[in-house]
Amino acid sequence: MGASTAPIGAERGPVPPEAGIGLRFLHHQAVLDERPPVAWLEVHTENYLGGGTPLAYLEAIRRDYPIALHCVGLSLGSAEGLDLGHLDRVRRTVERIAPALVSEHLSWSIAEGRYLADLLPLPMTEEALDIVCRHVDQTQTVLRRRILVENPSSYLRWRHSTIPEWEFLAAVARRTGCGILCDVNNIYVSACNHGWNPSIYLAALPPAAIGEIHLAGHSVRQLEGGRTLRIDDHGSRVIPEVWELYAEALARFGPVPTLIEWDTNLPALAVLVGEAARAAALLDCARQIADADAA
Amino acid sequence: MPTLREIQQAVGRSVIAGDDALAAGHVLADGLPPQARLGIYRNNFIGNATTALRLSYPAIHSLVGAEFFEGAASIFIAAEPPRRADLDAYGEGFPEFLAGFPPAGALPYLAGVARLEWAVNRALHAPDMEPLDLARLGAVAAADRDRIAFLLHPSVGLVEADHPLDAVWRAVLAQDDNAMAAIDLDAGPVRLLVERCATGVEVTRLEEPAWRFAAALYASRPLRRAIEAAPEVDAAALLAEHLAAGRFIGFELVDGPITSGLHS
Repeated sequence: MGASTAPIGAERGPVPPEAGIGLRFLHHQAVLDERPPVAWLEVHTENYLGGGTPLAYLEAIRRDYPIALHCVGLSLGSAEGLDLGHLDRVRRTVERIAPALVSEHLSWSIAEGRYLADLLPLPMTEEALDIVCRHVDQTQTVLRRRILVENPSSYLRWRHSTIPEWEFLAAVARRTGCGILCDVNNIYVSACNHGWNPSIYLAALPPAAIGEIHLAGHSVRQLEGGRTLRIDDHGSRVIPEVWELYAEALARFGPVPTLIEWDTNLPALAVLVGEAARAAALLDCARQIADADAA
Repeated sequence: MPTLREIQQAVGRSVIAGDDALAAGHVLADGLPPQARLGIYRNNFIGNATTALRLSYPAIHSLVGAEFFEGAASIFIAAEPPRRADLDAYGEGFPEFLAGFPPAGALPYLAGVARLEWAVNRALHAPDMEPLDLARLGAVAAADRDRIAFLLHPSVGLVEADHPLDAVWRAVLAQDDNAMAAIDLDAGPVRLLVERCATGVEVTRLEEPAWRFAAALYASRPLRRAIEAAPEVDAAALLAEHLAAGRFIGFELVDGPITSGLHS
Protein backbone atom coordinates (compact mmCIF):
# COMPACT_ATOMS: atom_id res chain seq x y z
CA MET A 1 0.00 0.00 0.00
CA GLY A 2 2.10 2.91 1.25
CA ALA A 3 -0.08 5.37 -0.66
CA SER A 4 -0.78 7.48 2.41
CA THR A 5 1.63 10.17 1.25
CA ALA A 6 0.18 10.31 -2.27
CA PRO A 7 -0.68 13.85 -3.31
CA ILE A 8 -4.28 14.92 -3.62
CA GLY A 9 -5.26 14.01 -7.16
CA ALA A 10 -4.88 10.63 -8.79
CA GLU A 11 -2.18 9.55 -11.19
CA ARG A 12 -4.20 11.28 -13.88
CA GLY A 13 -4.49 14.52 -11.94
CA PRO A 14 -7.49 16.25 -10.39
CA VAL A 15 -10.94 16.09 -11.86
CA PRO A 16 -11.23 18.69 -14.65
CA PRO A 17 -14.35 20.87 -15.00
CA GLU A 18 -15.63 18.48 -17.64
CA ALA A 19 -18.17 15.66 -17.88
CA GLY A 20 -17.69 12.23 -16.31
CA ILE A 21 -19.82 9.16 -15.66
CA GLY A 22 -20.55 6.93 -12.69
CA LEU A 23 -18.73 3.60 -13.08
CA ARG A 24 -20.51 0.41 -12.02
CA PHE A 25 -19.18 -3.18 -11.96
CA LEU A 26 -21.06 -4.12 -15.13
CA HIS A 27 -18.99 -1.60 -17.09
CA HIS A 28 -15.55 -2.35 -15.62
CA GLN A 29 -14.37 -4.43 -18.56
CA ALA A 30 -16.02 -2.21 -21.19
CA VAL A 31 -14.27 0.87 -19.79
CA LEU A 32 -10.89 -0.87 -19.95
CA ASP A 33 -11.53 -2.20 -23.46
CA GLU A 34 -13.18 0.84 -25.02
CA ARG A 35 -11.63 3.77 -23.14
CA PRO A 36 -14.83 5.82 -23.54
CA PRO A 37 -14.41 9.55 -24.28
CA VAL A 38 -15.33 10.89 -20.84
CA ALA A 39 -13.12 13.15 -18.74
CA TRP A 40 -13.34 11.28 -15.43
CA LEU A 41 -15.11 8.51 -13.51
CA GLU A 42 -16.77 8.21 -10.13
CA VAL A 43 -17.44 5.06 -8.09
CA HIS A 44 -19.21 4.30 -4.83
CA THR A 45 -16.48 3.91 -2.22
CA GLU A 46 -18.47 1.22 -0.39
CA ASN A 47 -18.14 -1.11 -3.39
CA TYR A 48 -14.34 -1.05 -3.10
CA LEU A 49 -13.72 -1.56 0.61
CA GLY A 50 -12.47 -5.12 0.10
CA GLY A 51 -9.70 -6.39 -2.14
CA GLY A 52 -9.73 -8.75 -5.09
CA THR A 53 -11.23 -8.12 -8.51
CA PRO A 54 -13.16 -4.85 -7.95
CA LEU A 55 -10.14 -3.03 -6.54
CA ALA A 56 -7.87 -4.52 -9.22
CA TYR A 57 -10.19 -3.11 -11.91
CA LEU A 58 -10.31 0.29 -10.24
CA GLU A 59 -6.51 0.43 -9.99
CA ALA A 60 -6.22 -0.43 -13.69
CA ILE A 61 -8.85 2.13 -14.69
CA ARG A 62 -7.35 4.94 -12.62
CA ARG A 63 -4.22 4.82 -14.78
CA ASP A 64 -6.33 6.30 -17.58
CA TYR A 65 -8.96 8.40 -15.80
CA PRO A 66 -9.15 10.72 -12.80
CA ILE A 67 -11.29 8.97 -10.17
CA ALA A 68 -13.74 10.41 -7.64
CA LEU A 69 -14.82 8.34 -4.64
CA HIS A 70 -18.47 8.90 -3.69
CA CYS A 71 -19.41 7.56 -0.24
CA VAL A 72 -22.93 6.49 0.72
CA GLY A 73 -22.42 4.98 4.18
CA LEU A 74 -20.63 7.44 6.48
CA SER A 75 -23.98 8.65 7.85
CA LEU A 76 -22.70 12.16 8.59
CA GLY A 77 -25.98 13.04 10.30
CA SER A 78 -26.20 10.22 12.86
CA ALA A 79 -26.66 11.58 16.38
CA GLU A 80 -24.91 8.53 17.86
CA GLY A 81 -21.63 9.41 16.12
CA LEU A 82 -19.73 8.06 13.14
CA ASP A 83 -18.98 4.35 12.73
CA LEU A 84 -15.22 4.59 13.18
CA GLY A 85 -14.65 1.12 11.72
CA HIS A 86 -16.41 2.16 8.53
CA LEU A 87 -14.54 5.47 8.42
CA ASP A 88 -11.26 3.57 8.74
CA ARG A 89 -12.16 1.22 5.86
CA VAL A 90 -13.03 4.26 3.75
CA ARG A 91 -9.70 5.83 4.73
CA ARG A 92 -7.79 2.77 3.52
CA THR A 93 -9.53 2.83 0.14
CA VAL A 94 -9.00 6.60 -0.17
CA GLU A 95 -5.30 6.17 0.58
CA ARG A 96 -4.94 3.34 -1.91
CA ILE A 97 -6.81 4.99 -4.78
CA ALA A 98 -5.71 8.59 -4.03
CA PRO A 99 -8.85 9.94 -5.70
CA ALA A 100 -9.19 13.46 -7.05
CA LEU A 101 -12.43 14.01 -5.11
CA VAL A 102 -14.14 12.41 -2.12
CA SER A 103 -17.80 13.08 -1.34
CA GLU A 104 -20.63 12.05 0.98
CA HIS A 105 -24.26 13.08 1.54
CA LEU A 106 -26.09 15.50 3.81
CA SER A 107 -28.15 12.70 5.32
CA TRP A 108 -28.13 9.87 7.82
CA SER A 109 -28.39 6.06 7.53
CA ILE A 110 -27.54 4.59 10.93
CA ALA A 111 -29.66 4.48 14.10
CA GLU A 112 -28.93 2.35 17.17
CA GLY A 113 -26.10 0.68 15.27
CA ARG A 114 -28.40 -0.50 12.48
CA TYR A 115 -27.80 0.53 8.87
CA LEU A 116 -31.00 1.59 7.11
CA ALA A 117 -29.53 1.16 3.59
CA ASP A 118 -30.79 4.52 2.30
CA LEU A 119 -30.01 8.23 2.59
CA LEU A 120 -32.53 9.63 5.07
CA PRO A 121 -33.28 13.34 5.39
CA LEU A 122 -32.25 15.23 8.52
CA PRO A 123 -34.44 17.54 10.54
CA MET A 124 -33.12 20.96 9.58
CA THR A 125 -32.31 22.17 13.10
CA GLU A 126 -29.39 23.85 14.87
CA GLU A 127 -28.78 20.56 16.72
CA ALA A 128 -28.49 18.60 13.47
CA LEU A 129 -26.29 21.32 11.95
CA ASP A 130 -23.86 21.04 14.89
CA ILE A 131 -23.77 17.25 14.58
CA VAL A 132 -23.20 17.24 10.81
CA CYS A 133 -20.45 19.87 11.09
CA ARG A 134 -18.72 17.85 13.83
CA HIS A 135 -18.80 14.72 11.65
CA VAL A 136 -17.61 16.53 8.53
CA ASP A 137 -14.68 17.89 10.58
CA GLN A 138 -13.96 14.41 11.92
CA THR A 139 -14.11 12.85 8.44
CA GLN A 140 -11.85 15.50 6.92
CA THR A 141 -9.37 14.99 9.76
CA VAL A 142 -9.26 11.21 9.38
CA LEU A 143 -9.09 11.32 5.58
CA ARG A 144 -6.64 14.25 5.74
CA ARG A 145 -8.43 16.04 2.92
CA ARG A 146 -11.41 18.21 2.12
CA ILE A 147 -14.59 16.40 1.21
CA LEU A 148 -17.65 17.48 -0.75
CA VAL A 149 -21.10 17.18 0.84
CA GLU A 150 -24.07 16.48 -1.42
CA ASN A 151 -27.67 17.70 -1.08
CA PRO A 152 -29.97 14.65 -0.89
CA SER A 153 -33.32 14.01 -2.51
CA SER A 154 -36.10 13.42 -0.02
CA TYR A 155 -39.66 12.16 0.31
CA LEU A 156 -40.55 13.64 3.67
CA ARG A 157 -39.95 16.71 5.83
CA TRP A 158 -39.84 16.96 9.63
CA ARG A 159 -42.35 19.07 11.52
CA HIS A 160 -39.75 20.81 13.64
CA SER A 161 -37.28 21.80 10.90
CA THR A 162 -36.40 25.48 11.17
CA ILE A 163 -33.66 26.01 8.57
CA PRO A 164 -34.18 25.77 4.79
CA GLU A 165 -32.06 22.91 3.40
CA TRP A 166 -30.10 25.29 1.12
CA GLU A 167 -29.12 27.49 4.07
CA PHE A 168 -28.21 24.40 6.11
CA LEU A 169 -25.91 23.10 3.35
CA ALA A 170 -24.28 26.50 2.86
CA ALA A 171 -23.70 26.70 6.64
CA VAL A 172 -22.02 23.27 6.67
CA ALA A 173 -19.65 24.43 3.93
CA ARG A 174 -18.95 27.72 5.69
CA ARG A 175 -18.33 26.18 9.11
CA THR A 176 -16.27 23.12 8.08
CA GLY A 177 -14.53 24.33 4.92
CA CYS A 178 -15.95 21.36 3.03
CA GLY A 179 -17.03 21.73 -0.57
CA ILE A 180 -20.51 21.18 -1.96
CA LEU A 181 -21.54 18.49 -4.41
CA CYS A 182 -24.57 20.10 -5.99
CA ASP A 183 -26.91 17.37 -7.22
CA VAL A 184 -29.13 19.25 -9.64
CA ASN A 185 -31.49 16.30 -10.07
CA ASN A 186 -31.89 16.05 -6.29
CA ILE A 187 -32.72 19.75 -6.07
CA TYR A 188 -35.35 19.26 -8.76
CA VAL A 189 -36.80 16.11 -7.13
CA SER A 190 -36.96 17.63 -3.64
CA ALA A 191 -38.28 20.94 -4.97
CA CYS A 192 -41.14 19.13 -6.72
CA ASN A 193 -41.84 16.91 -3.73
CA HIS A 194 -41.85 19.74 -1.19
CA GLY A 195 -42.92 22.77 -3.21
CA TRP A 196 -39.56 24.53 -3.11
CA ASN A 197 -38.25 26.96 -5.72
CA PRO A 198 -35.11 25.35 -7.21
CA SER A 199 -33.73 28.74 -8.28
CA ILE A 200 -33.79 29.95 -4.68
CA TYR A 201 -31.96 26.75 -3.71
CA LEU A 202 -29.20 27.34 -6.29
CA ALA A 203 -28.91 31.01 -5.41
CA ALA A 204 -28.27 30.19 -1.74
CA LEU A 205 -25.22 28.02 -2.44
CA PRO A 206 -21.82 29.75 -2.39
CA PRO A 207 -20.34 29.36 -5.93
CA ALA A 208 -16.78 29.08 -4.64
CA ALA A 209 -17.69 25.98 -2.61
CA ILE A 210 -19.20 24.02 -5.52
CA GLY A 211 -16.73 21.24 -6.34
CA GLU A 212 -18.92 18.93 -8.39
CA ILE A 213 -22.37 18.60 -9.95
CA HIS A 214 -24.44 15.42 -10.24
CA LEU A 215 -27.06 14.74 -12.91
CA ALA A 216 -29.34 11.71 -13.09
CA GLY A 217 -32.76 10.50 -14.08
CA HIS A 218 -35.65 9.94 -11.68
CA SER A 219 -39.09 8.38 -11.79
CA VAL A 220 -42.51 9.84 -11.10
CA ARG A 221 -45.04 8.04 -8.92
CA GLN A 222 -48.71 8.98 -9.27
CA LEU A 223 -50.49 9.43 -5.96
CA GLU A 224 -54.18 9.63 -5.14
CA GLY A 225 -55.79 13.00 -5.80
CA GLY A 226 -53.63 13.70 -8.84
CA ARG A 227 -50.50 14.43 -6.83
CA THR A 228 -47.14 13.03 -7.81
CA LEU A 229 -44.03 12.07 -5.91
CA ARG A 230 -40.67 12.05 -7.65
CA ILE A 231 -38.35 9.16 -6.75
CA ASP A 232 -34.61 9.55 -7.21
CA ASP A 233 -33.88 6.10 -8.66
CA HIS A 234 -31.06 6.94 -11.12
CA GLY A 235 -32.71 4.63 -13.63
CA SER A 236 -33.27 6.76 -16.74
CA ARG A 237 -32.02 9.72 -18.77
CA VAL A 238 -31.80 13.23 -17.33
CA ILE A 239 -35.12 14.96 -18.02
CA PRO A 240 -35.35 18.30 -19.92
CA GLU A 241 -36.34 20.26 -16.80
CA VAL A 242 -33.19 19.06 -15.02
CA TRP A 243 -31.00 19.98 -18.03
CA GLU A 244 -32.51 23.47 -17.83
CA LEU A 245 -31.77 23.69 -14.13
CA TYR A 246 -28.23 22.45 -14.85
CA ALA A 247 -27.72 25.31 -17.34
CA GLU A 248 -28.92 27.70 -14.64
CA ALA A 249 -26.46 26.16 -12.17
CA LEU A 250 -23.57 26.54 -14.63
CA ALA A 251 -24.52 30.16 -15.26
CA ARG A 252 -24.26 30.73 -11.54
CA PHE A 253 -21.27 28.53 -10.63
CA GLY A 254 -19.24 28.54 -13.86
CA PRO A 255 -17.91 25.27 -15.33
CA VAL A 256 -17.80 22.56 -12.62
CA PRO A 257 -16.89 18.83 -12.93
CA THR A 258 -20.21 17.19 -13.80
CA LEU A 259 -21.19 13.55 -13.38
CA ILE A 260 -23.89 11.44 -15.02
CA GLU A 261 -25.16 8.93 -12.42
CA TRP A 262 -27.05 5.79 -13.36
CA ASP A 263 -27.67 2.94 -10.90
CA THR A 264 -30.83 0.98 -11.71
CA ASN A 265 -31.64 -0.52 -15.14
CA LEU A 266 -28.06 0.22 -16.11
CA PRO A 267 -27.88 0.75 -19.90
CA ALA A 268 -24.98 0.18 -22.29
CA LEU A 269 -21.91 2.30 -21.65
CA ALA A 270 -22.61 4.28 -24.85
CA VAL A 271 -25.85 5.67 -23.36
CA LEU A 272 -23.96 7.08 -20.38
CA VAL A 273 -21.30 8.50 -22.70
CA GLY A 274 -24.07 10.17 -24.73
CA GLU A 275 -25.53 11.81 -21.63
CA ALA A 276 -22.05 12.97 -20.62
CA ALA A 277 -21.55 14.50 -24.10
CA ARG A 278 -24.69 16.52 -23.56
CA ALA A 279 -23.35 17.83 -20.26
CA ALA A 280 -20.01 18.53 -21.95
CA ALA A 281 -21.72 20.72 -24.55
CA LEU A 282 -23.35 22.82 -21.81
CA LEU A 283 -20.00 22.99 -19.99
CA ASP A 284 -18.40 24.33 -23.19
CA CYS A 285 -21.00 27.09 -23.35
CA ALA A 286 -20.39 27.95 -19.72
CA ARG A 287 -16.64 28.05 -20.36
CA GLN A 288 -17.05 30.40 -23.32
CA ILE A 289 -19.21 32.75 -21.27
CA ALA A 290 -16.74 32.64 -18.38
CA ASP A 291 -13.84 33.36 -20.77
CA ALA A 292 -15.74 36.25 -22.38
CA ASP A 293 -16.50 37.72 -18.96
CA ALA A 294 -12.84 37.48 -18.00
CA ALA A 295 -11.67 39.16 -21.21
CA MET B 1 -39.00 19.27 20.33
CA PRO B 2 -37.57 15.77 19.81
CA THR B 3 -33.82 15.38 19.76
CA LEU B 4 -32.09 14.09 16.64
CA ARG B 5 -31.32 10.85 18.44
CA GLU B 6 -35.00 10.38 19.32
CA ILE B 7 -36.03 11.00 15.72
CA GLN B 8 -33.47 8.54 14.42
CA GLN B 9 -34.41 5.82 16.89
CA ALA B 10 -38.09 6.24 15.99
CA VAL B 11 -37.36 6.11 12.25
CA GLY B 12 -35.12 3.08 12.73
CA ARG B 13 -38.03 1.24 14.33
CA SER B 14 -40.36 2.38 11.56
CA VAL B 15 -38.01 1.28 8.79
CA ILE B 16 -36.91 -2.03 10.31
CA ALA B 17 -39.92 -3.15 12.31
CA GLY B 18 -42.74 -1.28 10.59
CA ASP B 19 -43.62 0.52 13.84
CA ASP B 20 -44.61 4.03 12.76
CA ALA B 21 -46.26 5.06 16.06
CA LEU B 22 -43.50 7.46 17.12
CA ALA B 23 -41.94 8.44 13.81
CA ALA B 24 -45.16 9.41 12.00
CA GLY B 25 -45.89 12.15 14.53
CA HIS B 26 -42.73 13.99 13.53
CA VAL B 27 -43.41 13.92 9.76
CA LEU B 28 -45.32 16.62 7.85
CA ALA B 29 -48.24 15.07 5.99
CA ASP B 30 -48.36 17.61 3.14
CA GLY B 31 -50.78 15.70 0.93
CA LEU B 32 -49.46 12.22 1.68
CA PRO B 33 -49.87 10.34 4.99
CA PRO B 34 -46.66 10.23 7.06
CA GLN B 35 -46.94 6.41 7.09
CA ALA B 36 -46.77 6.38 3.28
CA ARG B 37 -43.73 8.67 3.29
CA LEU B 38 -41.95 6.48 5.85
CA GLY B 39 -43.00 3.47 3.78
CA ILE B 40 -40.85 4.67 0.88
CA TYR B 41 -37.76 4.45 3.10
CA ARG B 42 -38.88 1.06 4.46
CA ASN B 43 -39.27 -0.30 0.93
CA ASN B 44 -35.86 1.05 -0.07
CA PHE B 45 -34.31 -0.52 3.04
CA ILE B 46 -35.80 -3.95 2.40
CA GLY B 47 -35.08 -3.70 -1.33
CA ASN B 48 -31.44 -2.71 -0.87
CA ALA B 49 -30.78 -5.26 1.88
CA THR B 50 -32.48 -7.98 -0.20
CA THR B 51 -30.33 -7.07 -3.20
CA ALA B 52 -27.23 -7.38 -1.01
CA LEU B 53 -28.34 -10.88 0.08
CA ARG B 54 -29.14 -11.89 -3.49
CA LEU B 55 -25.65 -10.83 -4.62
CA SER B 56 -24.05 -12.85 -1.81
CA TYR B 57 -26.37 -15.85 -2.20
CA PRO B 58 -27.04 -16.21 -5.95
CA ALA B 59 -27.33 -20.02 -5.83
CA ILE B 60 -29.87 -19.90 -2.99
CA HIS B 61 -31.83 -17.35 -5.00
CA SER B 62 -31.84 -19.72 -8.00
CA LEU B 63 -32.69 -22.77 -5.92
CA VAL B 64 -35.73 -21.33 -4.16
CA GLY B 65 -36.91 -18.75 -6.72
CA ALA B 66 -37.34 -14.99 -6.41
CA GLU B 67 -40.61 -15.00 -4.48
CA PHE B 68 -39.46 -17.46 -1.80
CA PHE B 69 -36.10 -15.70 -1.55
CA GLU B 70 -37.64 -12.28 -1.04
CA GLY B 71 -40.05 -13.63 1.58
CA ALA B 72 -37.27 -15.35 3.51
CA ALA B 73 -34.98 -12.31 3.12
CA SER B 74 -37.57 -9.88 4.51
CA ILE B 75 -37.99 -12.00 7.66
CA PHE B 76 -34.22 -12.35 8.05
CA ILE B 77 -33.61 -8.62 7.45
CA ALA B 78 -36.12 -7.61 10.13
CA ALA B 79 -34.52 -10.07 12.58
CA GLU B 80 -30.90 -9.29 11.74
CA PRO B 81 -30.68 -5.86 10.09
CA PRO B 82 -27.31 -4.76 8.69
CA ARG B 83 -24.86 -3.47 11.27
CA ARG B 84 -22.42 -1.95 8.83
CA ALA B 85 -22.70 0.35 5.85
CA ASP B 86 -20.75 -1.97 3.56
CA LEU B 87 -23.46 -4.35 2.46
CA ASP B 88 -20.89 -6.74 0.94
CA ALA B 89 -20.31 -7.80 4.54
CA TYR B 90 -24.02 -8.29 5.27
CA GLY B 91 -25.72 -11.67 5.65
CA GLU B 92 -23.35 -13.85 7.66
CA GLY B 93 -26.30 -15.15 9.69
CA PHE B 94 -28.41 -16.08 6.64
CA PRO B 95 -27.28 -19.76 6.45
CA GLU B 96 -28.18 -20.28 10.11
CA PHE B 97 -31.50 -18.54 9.54
CA LEU B 98 -32.28 -20.85 6.59
CA ALA B 99 -31.36 -23.90 8.69
CA GLY B 100 -34.12 -22.96 11.14
CA PHE B 101 -36.65 -21.68 8.60
CA PRO B 102 -39.48 -24.25 8.42
CA PRO B 103 -40.55 -23.51 4.81
CA ALA B 104 -37.00 -24.41 3.70
CA GLY B 105 -37.25 -27.83 5.36
CA ALA B 106 -37.90 -29.61 2.06
CA LEU B 107 -34.35 -28.75 0.89
CA PRO B 108 -32.05 -30.22 3.56
CA TYR B 109 -28.93 -29.04 1.75
CA LEU B 110 -30.08 -25.40 1.46
CA ALA B 111 -28.34 -24.09 4.59
CA GLY B 112 -25.17 -25.92 3.54
CA VAL B 113 -25.14 -24.31 0.11
CA ALA B 114 -25.68 -20.97 1.86
CA ARG B 115 -22.65 -21.63 4.09
CA LEU B 116 -20.57 -22.33 1.00
CA GLU B 117 -21.84 -19.15 -0.66
CA TRP B 118 -20.94 -17.10 2.41
CA ALA B 119 -17.41 -18.53 2.32
CA VAL B 120 -17.23 -17.63 -1.39
CA ASN B 121 -18.50 -14.12 -0.61
CA ARG B 122 -15.92 -13.68 2.15
CA ALA B 123 -13.17 -14.83 -0.21
CA LEU B 124 -14.35 -12.38 -2.89
CA HIS B 125 -14.40 -9.34 -0.62
CA ALA B 126 -11.47 -10.04 1.71
CA PRO B 127 -8.80 -7.35 1.77
CA ASP B 128 -5.71 -7.73 -0.39
CA MET B 129 -2.71 -8.83 1.68
CA GLU B 130 0.80 -9.81 0.70
CA PRO B 131 1.45 -13.55 1.00
CA LEU B 132 4.08 -14.78 3.42
CA ASP B 133 7.63 -14.07 2.27
CA LEU B 134 9.17 -17.54 2.06
CA ALA B 135 12.65 -16.16 2.82
CA ARG B 136 11.38 -15.30 6.30
CA LEU B 137 10.31 -18.90 6.75
CA GLY B 138 13.68 -20.16 5.53
CA ALA B 139 15.37 -18.15 8.26
CA VAL B 140 13.65 -20.11 11.05
CA ALA B 141 16.11 -22.42 12.86
CA ALA B 142 15.43 -26.12 12.31
CA ALA B 143 14.86 -26.62 16.04
CA ASP B 144 12.06 -24.02 15.99
CA ARG B 145 10.10 -25.31 13.00
CA ASP B 146 7.68 -27.34 15.13
CA ARG B 147 6.63 -24.08 16.77
CA ILE B 148 5.63 -22.27 13.55
CA ALA B 149 1.99 -21.16 13.64
CA PHE B 150 0.79 -19.70 10.34
CA LEU B 151 -1.59 -16.76 9.87
CA LEU B 152 -4.25 -17.47 7.26
CA HIS B 153 -4.90 -15.12 4.35
CA PRO B 154 -8.41 -13.65 4.90
CA SER B 155 -9.52 -14.77 1.43
CA VAL B 156 -9.01 -18.48 2.26
CA GLY B 157 -11.56 -20.66 4.04
CA LEU B 158 -12.80 -24.21 4.59
CA VAL B 159 -16.34 -25.57 4.41
CA GLU B 160 -17.43 -29.04 5.52
CA ALA B 161 -20.85 -30.46 4.63
CA ASP B 162 -22.85 -33.69 4.81
CA HIS B 163 -23.91 -33.47 1.14
CA PRO B 164 -21.98 -32.74 -2.10
CA LEU B 165 -22.88 -29.05 -1.94
CA ASP B 166 -20.15 -27.98 -4.30
CA ALA B 167 -21.81 -30.01 -7.07
CA VAL B 168 -25.18 -28.42 -6.29
CA TRP B 169 -23.63 -24.94 -6.18
CA ARG B 170 -21.86 -25.39 -9.52
CA ALA B 171 -24.88 -26.89 -11.28
CA VAL B 172 -27.21 -24.15 -10.04
CA LEU B 173 -24.93 -21.28 -11.01
CA ALA B 174 -24.29 -22.88 -14.42
CA GLN B 175 -28.07 -23.42 -14.78
CA ASP B 176 -27.18 -26.98 -15.77
CA ASP B 177 -30.30 -29.07 -15.10
CA ASN B 178 -28.64 -32.28 -16.31
CA ALA B 179 -25.75 -31.87 -13.88
CA MET B 180 -28.24 -31.07 -11.14
CA ALA B 181 -30.26 -34.21 -11.87
CA ALA B 182 -27.12 -36.36 -11.82
CA ILE B 183 -26.12 -35.32 -8.28
CA ASP B 184 -26.40 -38.05 -5.65
CA LEU B 185 -27.21 -36.08 -2.52
CA ASP B 186 -26.41 -39.15 -0.40
CA ALA B 187 -22.91 -39.48 -1.84
CA GLY B 188 -21.54 -38.51 1.54
CA PRO B 189 -19.78 -35.53 3.07
CA VAL B 190 -17.48 -33.14 1.22
CA ARG B 191 -14.63 -31.00 2.54
CA LEU B 192 -13.99 -27.85 0.54
CA LEU B 193 -11.20 -25.34 0.23
CA VAL B 194 -12.47 -21.88 -0.83
CA GLU B 195 -9.94 -19.34 -2.06
CA ARG B 196 -9.64 -16.29 -4.25
CA CYS B 197 -7.68 -16.49 -7.47
CA ALA B 198 -6.96 -13.93 -10.18
CA THR B 199 -10.33 -14.31 -11.90
CA GLY B 200 -12.66 -15.03 -8.99
CA VAL B 201 -13.08 -17.71 -6.35
CA GLU B 202 -12.13 -21.38 -6.62
CA VAL B 203 -13.74 -24.19 -4.63
CA THR B 204 -11.67 -27.39 -4.40
CA ARG B 205 -12.45 -30.71 -2.72
CA LEU B 206 -9.91 -31.98 -0.19
CA GLU B 207 -9.47 -35.57 0.98
CA GLU B 208 -10.35 -36.01 4.63
CA PRO B 209 -6.73 -36.30 5.96
CA ALA B 210 -5.53 -33.30 3.90
CA TRP B 211 -8.54 -31.38 5.19
CA ARG B 212 -7.59 -32.24 8.80
CA PHE B 213 -4.05 -31.00 8.17
CA ALA B 214 -5.29 -27.78 6.52
CA ALA B 215 -7.85 -27.17 9.28
CA ALA B 216 -5.11 -27.36 11.92
CA LEU B 217 -2.77 -25.07 9.96
CA TYR B 218 -5.55 -22.57 9.21
CA ALA B 219 -6.49 -22.47 12.89
CA SER B 220 -2.90 -21.28 13.54
CA ARG B 221 -2.00 -24.43 15.47
CA PRO B 222 1.77 -25.04 15.58
CA LEU B 223 3.17 -27.07 12.70
CA ARG B 224 3.95 -30.05 14.93
CA ARG B 225 0.31 -30.20 16.05
CA ALA B 226 -0.91 -30.06 12.45
CA ILE B 227 1.37 -32.94 11.51
CA GLU B 228 0.13 -34.93 14.50
CA ALA B 229 -3.47 -34.20 13.51
CA ALA B 230 -2.90 -35.87 10.12
CA PRO B 231 -0.03 -38.36 10.48
CA GLU B 232 -0.96 -40.19 7.28
CA VAL B 233 -0.40 -37.23 4.90
CA ASP B 234 2.80 -36.11 3.19
CA ALA B 235 2.97 -32.99 5.33
CA ALA B 236 6.00 -31.49 3.56
CA ALA B 237 4.33 -31.73 0.15
CA LEU B 238 0.98 -30.35 1.37
CA LEU B 239 2.64 -27.50 3.24
CA ALA B 240 4.65 -26.59 0.15
CA GLU B 241 1.41 -26.41 -1.82
CA HIS B 242 -0.26 -24.13 0.76
CA LEU B 243 2.78 -21.87 0.77
CA ALA B 244 3.10 -21.76 -3.01
CA ALA B 245 -0.57 -20.81 -3.32
CA GLY B 246 0.00 -17.85 -0.98
CA ARG B 247 -2.57 -19.00 1.56
CA PHE B 248 -0.68 -17.55 4.54
CA ILE B 249 0.25 -13.95 5.26
CA GLY B 250 2.70 -14.58 8.10
CA PHE B 251 3.61 -16.80 11.01
CA GLU B 252 4.71 -16.64 14.59
CA LEU B 253 6.67 -19.01 16.79
CA VAL B 254 4.48 -20.40 19.54
CA ASP B 255 6.13 -20.09 22.95
CA GLY B 256 7.59 -23.08 24.74
CA PRO B 257 8.63 -26.50 23.47
CA ILE B 258 5.99 -28.50 21.59
CA THR B 259 5.85 -31.87 23.31
CA SER B 260 4.91 -34.70 21.04
CA GLY B 261 1.73 -36.61 21.77
CA LEU B 262 -0.21 -33.86 23.56
CA HIS B 263 -3.11 -32.09 21.90
CA SER B 264 -3.46 -28.44 22.80
